[in-house]
Amino acid sequence: MCDTCGCGISSVRTIDVNERLLASNAAQAEQNRAHFAEREILAINLMGTPGAGKTALLEAIIAKWRESRRILVIEGDQATDRDSARIRAAGAIACQVETGLGCHLAAHQIHDALHHLDLRDGDLLFIENVGNLVCPALFDLGERLRVVVTSPAEGADKPLKYPPMFRAAHLVVLNKCDLIPHVPFKLDEWTDYVRAITPHARILKTSALGGEGLGELLAEIDNVRQAFSANIFA
Amino acid sequence: MHELSLARDLMGAIERKLDRGKVRVVRVSVSVGSAAGIVPESLRFAFRVVCEGTRADGAELSVTTIAARSRCADCGIIFEFDALIGRCPGCGRLGGELLSGDEMILRTIAVADV
Ligand SMILES: Nc1nc2c(ncn2[C@@H]2O[C@H](COP(=O)(O)OP(=O)(O)O)[C@@H](O)[C@H]2O)c(=O)[nH]1
Ligand SMILES: [Mg+2]
Ligand SMILES: [Zn+2]
Repeated sequence: MCDTCGCGISSVRTIDVNERLLASNAAQAEQNRAHFAEREILAINLMGTPGAGKTALLEAIIAKWRESRRILVIEGDQATDRDSARIRAAGAIACQVETGLGCHLAAHQIHDALHHLDLRDGDLLFIENVGNLVCPALFDLGERLRVVVTSPAEGADKPLKYPPMFRAAHLVVLNKCDLIPHVPFKLDEWTDYVRAITPHARILKTSALGGEGLGELLAEIDNVRQAFSANIFA
Repeated sequence: MHELSLARDLMGAIERKLDRGKVRVVRVSVSVGSAAGIVPESLRFAFRVVCEGTRADGAELSVTTIAARSRCADCGIIFEFDALIGRCPGCGRLGGELLSGDEMILRTIAVADV
């Protein structure tokens, strides 16, 4: 009740908070990152459109590296474990996270998934995020490298239409580059748009099916891995 | 609809702040950078849904958009804009390096005793 006149309307007071939103996701992501660093596990967050070829790229990477290193994949999809099955068939260890109504993975889901994975020191951990150019950009998972995968048939203007996603990327991959001659897609235009959004990100062209650019992609991952290890022991 | 995750996160932050206080939430204000990719109307809608049946049921959510700042990749000018991406007023080049504008901050919670 109002103290002044007893009118029955209680007085409203304002509490100053000034806290960042998603602070708990950020805290969990930092915890994941520290855990990965301690164990020298390189975690890579693969984002991009549905169908850009994220799983196909993973299959191609696994085919090259299966004999030489341990690769684990956390697969995020709204439903089904089809992609985990593909990863296992390719020869790596997979854990499926079905996000249901969720349109992105969050840091706590990675933490939970780690309990189901036999993670060892020095492993390479890929996280295939839910295919979506909007929501995953906002959620740090504790990864070291953020990769955005798109493809020519989606059109050259996607970087302009989804700036936060491209801005979040350390590496932007144009997959299905084998399709460039077959669709109305101008590579220069696309590259300019990516550059406009993110002046510093690395840009690579790949074909998960044809194999073009895969060597560069593997080299890029190796570079990050070396910088990561050097950093840990610095 | 990452706005739903954001609304849940907001609700969590409010609950932590109010703890066991016997209050009703009347109004919540947040500020978001124009380049953050948050649609205020979607966030208000999601917040309304998340608040149902809680002590914030019916609370008003005020979303203030803050201008973003970028540095032009060509001429180096720093400029403000009110969208996801801006254009350099000096040379007309699109985009640039984002200096600020992706923040999402819970500013205030207005409460009344029950
Ligand atoms: N032409 C072509 N097709 C590809 C390429 N990579 C993937 N695809 C096809 O694109 C479809 C979607 O691939 P998928 O890996 O499931 O995409 P994801 O949703 O990003 O994981 C499949 O039919 C793939 O065979 C590529 O480099 N070139
Ligand atoms: Mg997939
Ligand atoms: Zn300029």
